[in-house]
Order: sequence, then structure tokens, then C-alpha cells
Amino acid sequence: MAARGRSRRTLSFSVDSVGINRGESLPPTLQQPTPVFPVMEQKPLPLTGGEEAEYLLALKQDFRGAMRSLPCFIQPAAALRDVERYSDKYHSSEHTDGLMDWTPDWQRFPRELRIHVKKPARDGVSVTRSDAQLAQKKKKKKVREKEEVLLKLETLQKKEEQQSEEDDDNAEQKKKQEDDDADGEEEYDEEEFEEETDYIMSYFDNGEDFGGDSDDNMDEAIY
Amino acid sequence: MTAQEVRLCGLLLREHFGEVVEKVGTQLLRSGAQNLRTIIHETGLSVDLVKKSLMVLVQHGACLFSSGRKGPGSPTEYRSGCDRILRILRYPRYIYTAKTLYGDTGELIIEELLQRGHMTMSGTVKTVADRLTQNMEEGRSMDYSEVSSAFSKLVETHFLQRCPPLAGAGTADSTNPAPGATPATPSTPAAPPTPESFPDCYKVPHMTLVGRGKRQLTAEDGEDQRNAKRQKMDPEAHGDEGIYWQVNFERFHLHFRDQAIISAVANKLDQTSSEIVRTMLRMSEVTTSPAATCTKPLSANEIFRSLPASYNIPRPILDQYLTLLVDDPMEFVGKAGESGGGMYVVNLHRALANLARATLESVVQERFGSRSARIFRLLLRKRHLEQKQVEDFAMIPAKEAKDMLYTLLSQNLVQLQEIPKTPDYAPSRTFYLYTVNQLPTARMLLQNCYKTVANLIERRLFESKESKRLLEKSQRIEAILASLQASGAEPEQLTEVEEMITAPEKQQLDGLRLHINKLDSAENQVDETIFRLESDVNSTATS
Repeated sequence: MAARGRSRRTLSFSVDSVGINRGESLPPTLQQPTPVFPVMEQKPLPLTGGEEAEYLLALKQDFRGAMRSLPCFIQPAAALRDVERYSDKYHSSEHTDGLMDWTPDWQRFPRELRIHVKKPARDGVSVTRSDAQLAQKKKKKKVREKEEVLLKLETLQKKEEQQSEEDDDNAEQKKKQEDDDADGEEEYDEEEFEEETDYIMSYFDNGEDFGGDSDDNMDEAIY
Repeated sequence: MTAQEVRLCGLLLREHFGEVVEKVGTQLLRSGAQNLRTIIHETGLSVDLVKKSLMVLVQHGACLFSSGRKGPGSPTEYRSGCDRILRILRYPRYIYTAKTLYGDTGELIIEELLQRGHMTMSGTVKTVADRLTQNMEEGRSMDYSEVSSAFSKLVETHFLQRCPPLAGAGTADSTNPAPGATPATPSTPAAPPTPESFPDCYKVPHMTLVGRGKRQLTAEDGEDQRNAKRQKMDPEAHGDEGIYWQVNFERFHLHFRDQAIISAVANKLDQTSSEIVRTMLRMSEVTTSPAATCTKPLSANEIFRSLPASYNIPRPILDQYLTLLVDDPMEFVGKAGESGGGMYVVNLHRALANLARATLESVVQERFGSRSARIFRLLLRKRHLEQKQVEDFAMIPAKEAKDMLYTLLSQNLVQLQEIPKTPDYAPSRTFYLYTVNQLPTARMLLQNCYKTVANLIERRLFESKESKRLLEKSQRIEAILASLQASGAEPEQLTEVEEMITAPEKQQLDGLRLHINKLDSAENQVDETIFRLESDVNSTATS
């Protein structure tokens, strides 16, 4: 605000009309950013309490909780742990979001948003998601296979072989994909069989979830 | 789409739909209309996740899609607006209003529709009946017809509306105003038709749905979930396929606005005057359009006849009350003529402007003290004042007045207007006048409110994250307690489980819960201010 021309102590605006009298000096200039939490001269008013406010609060918290359990709450699968483990192969299929938990009315959405879903086959094979091309290929394969089954009995076996091959392919592709699919509810009972194995799912627990509870206040020693 | 609004929308999306939808949503908000490939590229998420997020956003009305700008062959473009997402803050208020007007059934209907975005009438009725049956005693269940009648009532009073059918996808409505526009003008995208432009917007479909709510047995939970899912996939046709309903936020806002005016009159004058204004607003509910400046004129005779029976005030007293209302400086009610004993209108826009002005004044008062508020009110009334005049009119000594004015000026609540006497703007020959512009100040405070709510949400998330382990532990223990109680355990077992949380941990939990509740109710309260400021800004912008 100091004059740039001659070194006279004139300011760019008239001193009288803005109200600064002769004797007073301007407030000191600030040379750093204003503090993040400035001291408040006036304390804020307390919140309005009352029945209505409490009911609104309860509604809000309930709504938030309910939204978390709905299918529109999308959570990608948790990031894989530091080291690849053998049980990942069997655990990761649990977390794939196979079927859309809500069947939207596809008429209301643009075509390109369609996600093609492969329905689970009857022998408890895990559900996977694929994009349009794979689905078309599979559809063609399935149609061809169905026709053969109608004609010959042996092609039943062939279909199962082919499906298990496809599942292998899919399992590999899934591992190759870097982004994980979303979490979803399990489509089948956990006790049931995973593909290619004869063990129940708890066989693949690698003991990492055990002992995750708080270790504080433990009076007994851990052996 | 200011930075504060985008930040707040991102936080709301994260809380209600997860982080993936937050990323996609903020990308849409920041960069306007984009097609699918661009979104995938910019956010770096997988194709399936992006598709799923877009579907969630479209389902909840937060995102609109249209054919691309370069003509019918180009990929569909998605665009999103802040307004719809900011409504999420107000959901508890909508649900509570539905409860006061239509009871528990109405409350649950609105809650279901808000949670799911769009739903058919049959789907809503079934889900709500099941939920109501859950809470009733054993052996009683809720009939579908009761829920349907509540739904129809909500539609009749326009609180629910049909989702507009998509132009081009599915059957085109015969009175669709924009069928010719899209192929004719490929360069300019047709504005999406509002739901109200369709004549069937508020028509309840004929639906065949007979039955009662089903109670979900908790014993067979896993099987039940599968059964429930199978139920959803059952193709039961109820005669209303393809007709989706959504909550009509504008109607709720009109209701809130009316409530605000009535309570303002009750505070300023007295209960009887507020009843008169309530009657006037009720009579003009259907005849007033949402953007009207004032209601249609009502004659004093009509008002007299429509007053509620409990208020039997004689006719001359009513006239006196109306005269008082008209003379009041807040100008809620105006006189529009002399026929029929006097024609009276409720000035809606002026009432909203006055409410916003009162909000601004109270903000200044709480932040800077009552004397600064006096200066602020003075400037609002007198428009432009010089420094000397401010000191004189406000009756505040010069030094303090100057300090306060400069504080207000630095906070941008007061502006300085220069009026030159000579064309060269010489400082000694220019008038400097202080002034307050209500509309830009209201906008600025509105942005401050958005920032406040965003800060509150962030603080709440921070607090929960800090004590995440403690919260999880307490949740686990509550679950164990609940299951023990359900299976009928002895009190010693219960106390044993309760003691798994130590006393200092319990204290910490209580403190945490108190903080989170405070932050949540603070958000609700700030949202009320946001509503008042927003309605004033919007009404001034359109008028």
C-alpha cells in the first residue's frame, strides 16, 4: 500500500474518508498464512437437542448402516497380502461377485453397461464374471454342446471336461487380472466342495485369522 | 460445481456407496460429460467396477446418460450433477416428514425408495409389508392393501412420482416432448425431460397384488437369504412392470418451505396468525406452481370458511389479523385487491428472502458479536453508507465501528463501493461507501456450509478410523450378547461377556459415541441452514 513513486509517505486512497486518523498506524502486516485453528472470540451455540433432532440422528445412522448392506455398496476385494499363498487359489473364488445381487431392469440402462454373468453350473463350480466377448464365445460353445448332448450320450462327458477346462482358463485369467472383482455373498454353502479338490473350505484356513483379537490385558503368557 | 461441493459429494458417495463409486462420481463431477472409455481411463479402475458404479449412480438418479454429442452413432455420455447427490444430506428429514404425515407405513415406503433409488410399486409394497410384519407381534402381519393405499396417498399428494421413461430406449411416450429434437439437432443434446412433462407422472398403475407380509424366521437365516433372492428373481407379474417410482424431492422442499414460513410467522406474531397462514398455504397447495412468486389470491371469505374448526374466531377479528399480517415489515402476506372482503396472497419469494436475510444476520451475530450485527443490519437496510454515517446511525464509537467494519470487510461480508467524483478515481475525490449484497453473501455462506459439512464428515471418519479396533471389538461383543440372550443364557454368562470390555475402554467407547452423535446432529443442523440459503438463492435466480 506504500507509494511506489517518490519516497513520500502517501497512500493510494484518501486517509480521511476511510476513517484512519493521523495519529494511528495501520495494523501490522501479516507475513505468514492465517492460523489453521484461529482462536474464536465468540463461542458457538450448543446444538439444538430435542426429540426431533434425536430421531433424525437415529434415522441418519440407521440409513447409513442399511446402505452398507445393500448391493449398491460396492467394495473391491481386499488387497492381497504381501506374499502369495497356496490357499489364495481357493479363497479368491469365494470373494468374486458373481451374480448381480439385484437384477436391474436392463431396459433402463444403456447397452454398454451390461455385464454378462455366467450362471453357476450344477456341480457347484464357482461363479465368474466375464466381458462380452468371452460370454459370446461361451454361448456359442454351449449351444453347440447342447445340440451334441441331444444326439449322443458321450458328449455329456465332453461338456464336463470342457467346462472344467474353461474354469481352469478362467481361474488363470482371474489371477492374471490385476484388479479384483467386487465382494459378494457366497452363492453356495461354504462346506461344499471347491473345484478340483475334495476338501472342505476350512481345510484351506491358513491360520492367519487366529489370534487377531486384542493382545492387550493378557495376564497369561503366550506359549 | 465448486470445489467444496465436489468434495462434499465425494464424501457422501463414499459413505453411502463405497469408495469405488466415490471415485467414479467425483470423476464425473469434475470433468463434466464423458463416455465410458474416458471414465475407465481417468479413474484407472477395472471395466466391470466402473460399469457397476455407473449403474448404481444411474439407479439412484445421480447420473444421467444420453447419446453422444456427435450424433446418434457416438458412444453414450454420462453426466452427473452435484444437486442430486447433495440431497443425500436431507434424507433423514424426508423420512421424518413422511412419518409425521403418513405414519410408519409412509416412513418405510420413503425409506425403501431412498435406499433403492427406483422401484416398482409392487416391489416396494412387498418389502415394506415384510418389514412392518417383522416388527409386529407374533401372529400378526401387515396386509398388502394397507401399504398400497399409503403408497397411493403419497402419489396423490405428489410426494412420489414416476421415473420418466427413457426416450429411445423402450417404449416412447406419445406426448414425449423431445422425440423430434434428438435426431433433428444432433449437435445440441436435448435437455432431459423432467418427470413432470409426462402426463402419467402421478398416475397409480392398476396392480394385482394380494397377500400379506411374510415374517422372516431368524432360525434359518442362510436358507432364507437364498429363498429371498429366489423370490426376487421370480417373474411374478403384477401388472405394473416397467413403471418405476422415485421420491419427488421438489415436493418435499415445498413442504419444508411452507413449514419454515409458518414457524417464522408463529415466532414473530402469534399462534393464530400462523394458523391463518397455514390455512392459506393449504388452500393454495394445488393451485400454486413450484416456482411461483406468490400464491393465488384468496378472498377473506374463503379463508374464513376454511379455517380449522377449533379456531372459531369471529370475522372482524380475522380481518384484523389479516391487516396485521399485511402491515408486518416481513411482508409474508400481501393484499392483492378489495373484492370478496379483501384478496390476500402469501409472498413466497419475499418470505424466503427474508428468512435467508435473518440467517445471514444471525451468522454475523454469532461470529462477530451483536454490535457488528447491528452494523450489518444497518447496511442491509440502508444499502450504501459512508464510514461516518455508519458510526452515527449505529451509535457506536468511531474507533470500534471502524474495527468492526474492517473485520467484516476482510471476511467479505461487507463490500466497499467506490463512487468517483472525477474520472480519474483520485482517492481524495472519491466516495467510498460500504454496502452489503444479499445474494452474493448468501452464496458465499452456502459454500461455507458445504465446507462445514464436509469437514464434519471427515472428522467423523477420522474418529471412527482411530478407534476402529475398539468399535469392532464392541460390535463383536454385542453380537455375542445378543445371541446369548436369544438362546436364553444365565445372567452370569452375560456379565462375563460384558466384562470382556474393560472400564477405560468403555469410557473411551462412550466418549467416541458421544462425539460421533454430536458430529452427526451438527450435520443435520447445518443442512437446515443449507436448505434455507439454497431455496433463497434458487428462487432469486429464477425470478
